[in-house]
Amino acid sequence: MRNVKKLILALLLIFIFFANGSCSRKDNKPGQVTICFAFQDLETEYWVAAHKAITETLKARNIMVLQRNAHQDANRQLEQIRDAIAQDVDGIIMIPQDGESAVTIIGEANKAGIPIGVFNRPPADKSNPALVVVADNTRIAEETVAYMAKAARKLNRKMTPLILVGDLGDQNSIERKNGFYNAVNAHPDLFKKPIEVPTKWDAATTLANLEAALQVEPAVDFVFTSSDFLYPQIKAVLEPLGKWKPIGDAGHVILGGLDGDSTAYRLMQEGYVDATGVQDLFFEADEIMEALLDAIEKGQTKPEKWIQDPGFALMQENMAEREMDMWGCRILKQAKAGTAQ
Amino acid sequence: MRARRILLRLPGVIVLSDHFVLVMTVLYFLLIWAVYPHMAGRRNIANLFSNVWPLLALVIGQMFVLIVGGIDLSQTSIMAVTSVLGAMMMAGRFDPAKFEQNPLWGVVFSEQGGLLAGSGWAVPAAIMVMLFVGVGIGLLNGVAVAKLKMPPFMVTLVAMSFYSGLAIYLSRSENIMHLPDSFIAVGKGTVGPIPSAMLIVVTLAFLAFVILNLSILGRWLYAVGQNIRTARVSGIPTERVVVLAYVFSGFCAALGSILYSARLEAGRPTLGRNLLLDVIGAAVIGGISLYGGKGRVLWAVYGVLFFVVLDNSLNKMPLEFYSIDIIKGGVILLAALLDSLRTHIASRQTAPEGIF
Repeated sequence: MRNVKKLILALLLIFIFFANGSCSRKDNKPGQVTICFAFQDLETEYWVAAHKAITETLKARNIMVLQRNAHQDANRQLEQIRDAIAQDVDGIIMIPQDGESAVTIIGEANKAGIPIGVFNRPPADKSNPALVVVADNTRIAEETVAYMAKAARKLNRKMTPLILVGDLGDQNSIERKNGFYNAVNAHPDLFKKPIEVPTKWDAATTLANLEAALQVEPAVDFVFTSSDFLYPQIKAVLEPLGKWKPIGDAGHVILGGLDGDSTAYRLMQEGYVDATGVQDLFFEADEIMEALLDAIEKGQTKPEKWIQDPGFALMQENMAEREMDMWGCRILKQAKAGTAQ
Repeated sequence: MRARRILLRLPGVIVLSDHFVLVMTVLYFLLIWAVYPHMAGRRNIANLFSNVWPLLALVIGQMFVLIVGGIDLSQTSIMAVTSVLGAMMMAGRFDPAKFEQNPLWGVVFSEQGGLLAGSGWAVPAAIMVMLFVGVGIGLLNGVAVAKLKMPPFMVTLVAMSFYSGLAIYLSRSENIMHLPDSFIAVGKGTVGPIPSAMLIVVTLAFLAFVILNLSILGRWLYAVGQNIRTARVSGIPTERVVVLAYVFSGFCAALGSILYSARLEAGRPTLGRNLLLDVIGAAVIGGISLYGGKGRVLWAVYGVLFFVVLDNSLNKMPLEFYSIDIIKGGVILLAALLDSLRTHIASRQTAPEGIF
């Protein structure tokens, strides 16, 4: 037992002796830029595509990328980013779990003097400076729902609208909800009181809550999903009720969403979805990387810039001209081209 | 000759030692440090320890329940509900756009802040409420297990679901920001050169050590965990002992909630949602038995250190994110296997001849 204690003591002494002198060495190759890319999870196609775009572009530029997945845990993300800061990374790109934790984490980066970029999910307030790229969610949602309302008007009846609301800790969800209400409230004669179904950005929660909502109010005939990744759950609930019908069929539920993923594109092609709001994923990824690399090059430690992705609404009537601006369509066509080769 | 004999026996002695997990942790640390020099940098060491303290508070609480042969799956939901309640009392202001629809709007909190916002008592009172609620939930769990003879797994699983839901209901899924600076300092501040979180958790560990090693209650806890029927026959108030173990676990969970909420600067209804594996994993790797009757504060410390060092080291590596999860799972499995092997060897060495 005494030998073990001596060994432990020796190991600890060696560690303490070397620990003090070792912090100035960098872990990467000399001159190579290191960026920590911390994301909350890759639960939707949007995040997967964004992750791919960011990591591949950075690697192609010979930038070392430290990828950190927080598995939807804000505390874990904080710990991961603190670890990255301790590793003297040159910059951080973060997809935060929510706007509130983003503020705290940006504060940590600010304190350490490391520039940080926030991708797509904005901080809850601007108390700590950061580079932020975010879509104009309110306007995109409003445009999309306005088109859906135009389609509803042709049916000459009062509609029962339903919105699948995202996690309200996410500013994007709140803005999409606001955009939905802006458009619906513009037509008081057309819509009954909207039904709100919470999803917490979770497929299982969505399925359960949507089923319950349609049991209570089976007359729902106008559905807006705050994210395209929930279309499979919508189909799973509507189909057994005989409400999964293409545009033009009696019983078609007017359907729209926001993101612009490949499922939404396919469903628009097949005629089930009327419109979808599109975030320009590639624009957002390029902008945040350029802004961060520029800040690193200029030696800025607390750069502040909010970049807005205007996005657009892809509708049945403009689909032919604008579908290639939709990232989901481009990804699908690239994948098809890859398979064909 | 003597030195050679000692050297030959050393691996066996280390493997069977109480400090085996610590030796593994230090060796692993040195190995990683050789490749990633930042591992031993001052800032990283500070990070590493700041991650240790709140997790250790939870593991110490879990250890008490494991010692009596139970398990507390509700710790993370206690964290969530106490985090929300504490923040509702002391937050400096609330955004009406997010909270106006909340059933407690205008009753417990309003745009001007929580019930006690601005008062000098806001932080101590909120902390007391958080601890009180943690103890209360622990008491309910303990009573259900000890008096109603319900299986601990089911009781705490249901409690986990119920209190997680309650936290989301109370906050309507919203995080509560604008906590007072003096509360944030509990998790992020220092007292002189010493982090306040360290002071709090070291005090907790000392208290746990005193209870387990120097008090009659400690002996009762081990006796109940080793054989509850024998303990009862021996005159130990087994029901009260089990209830106390769950109460202590609830208290530790609330303390963990205070530290995590302070470092995240928000009351969060999802606080600790993914932490349960870390808590139970660290306890088991430290050597605390899932079958009861076995556990020490030092083992909890070792288990947490191992977990935190592993996490920290994986954060240093330029790996694909999925490979990090695979490696982490693999290392934990290896550590658990080694621990199992070690227990097997130890039991062979102490068993009378002819048994194996």
